[in-house]
Amino acid sequence: MIKEMREPTFLVLATLAEGKRHGYAIIQGVASLSEGEVELKAGTLYAMLDRLTFDGVIESVGEEIVDGRLRRYYELTSEGTTLLGEESKRRVKVSNIALRRLRFVGGFA
Amino acid sequence: MTQNLAHSRKLLRFYPKAYREERGEEIVATLQDAAEARIPRASLSDQISVALYGVRVRLGLTSETMFGKALDIAAIPGFVMGAFFGVYLLISAELPVVNSKFFYPDFGPFLTVGPLFYLVWILGVIVVFEWPQYRRRIAGLCMTLTIVGELLAKLAHRNPNIWEIAILVSLGLPSLLAPDVYVTRRRVLPSLCVGLATFATLFFVSGSSVNPGFFNSFYWSGTYEIARRQPYVDVFLLALFAVLWITKRREVAGATLILASPWIIVGVAYPVSLQYLEVNTLNVIALIAWALGMALIVTTSRYRPRPPASVEQSTLNSGS
Repeated sequence: MIKEMREPTFLVLATLAEGKRHGYAIIQGVASLSEGEVELKAGTLYAMLDRLTFDGVIESVGEEIVDGRLRRYYELTSEGTTLLGEESKRRVKVSNIALRRLRFVGGFA
Repeated sequence: MTQNLAHSRKLLRFYPKAYREERGEEIVATLQDAAEARIPRASLSDQISVALYGVRVRLGLTSETMFGKALDIAAIPGFVMGAFFGVYLLISAELPVVNSKFFYPDFGPFLTVGPLFYLVWILGVIVVFEWPQYRRRIAGLCMTLTIVGELLAKLAHRNPNIWEIAILVSLGLPSLLAPDVYVTRRRVLPSLCVGLATFATLFFVSGSSVNPGFFNSFYWSGTYEIARRQPYVDVFLLALFAVLWITKRREVAGATLILASPWIIVGVAYPVSLQYLEVNTLNVIALIAWALGMALIVTTSRYRPRPPASVEQSTLNSGS
């Protein structure tokens, strides 16, 4: 099980929160969510997909062939959905505290 | 078949057959998509990352395997062990670096360029504690500098202690090979404990029997004393491995075995290389036990295809 969720993992799970995605669509989703800050390499993506599948956070839900290319689709498991929800709440909570503090010291307009 | 597609398929050779059959076409498709969308340089980095991951899967060095998990645990402690070994070597009289044709003393510390290596490792660990995300690069740098330094030292007619260098480089390997590039600060304290234990063990094991506790030059007597007194350390390490394995803390047991590797190997290799020194039987038994333990870890970490149920064929499978 994931003990500590890092940014790329969070972004992959957040991409899959929208629905099932295949490999390259996940790369695009992560780039879009991070506004181009995180650009997953193909090897890194498959290392992550293997790990997350092993941890039971995501699962393969089907495949199709488009233009002669095999697309395998992944989506969040119920465990993954819970995990992403908890992590999102935690990040929102910390962000809210930070924003409140910035307003308090006048550092945030 | 386009040239790009053929090239992508060639990359699959890095993966074990079972993985290739399960995921190969999917990876090729992703590479093709990426190649179409990205600039050529980005496409090249995609291909390199796919090839490197293939090597990792083949060697069982992924986050899911026991070998990978053991390496993750061993990474920082190994690096810290290297740095403490460096501290020990520094204060055991091997301080100055003399690299002049005109001043060429032919005794102990002056024959080695070690101090430079030791400082690199000590600084490396400090940097890794501050920026753990660069652990792999820093370990690679320390290892490269150590090996290159050894070669340059030979050109300069110095005679660096090959065993010191082998131990240092071996202790950096887990950091280089561990699949997890991030290491949290939670491992700092255990790592420092492992480093201090190494230092203390070296102090008692390699200290001269003539002057017990005195910091003798490791260059002269350290490796010999390790080979001579190693059985006590070997027995402790293997007993620790057995206890951890039996109590189901197998990844930690694996990490123990990985960190014990350089010491156990050098304990046998050093006297064998000298020929006139007798090889301690207990060291040989420990080496065999170590090899069996490592074989156990490596074989349990081989890639195995997932059960068919995990790959569902949904209605999406149009098979056009």
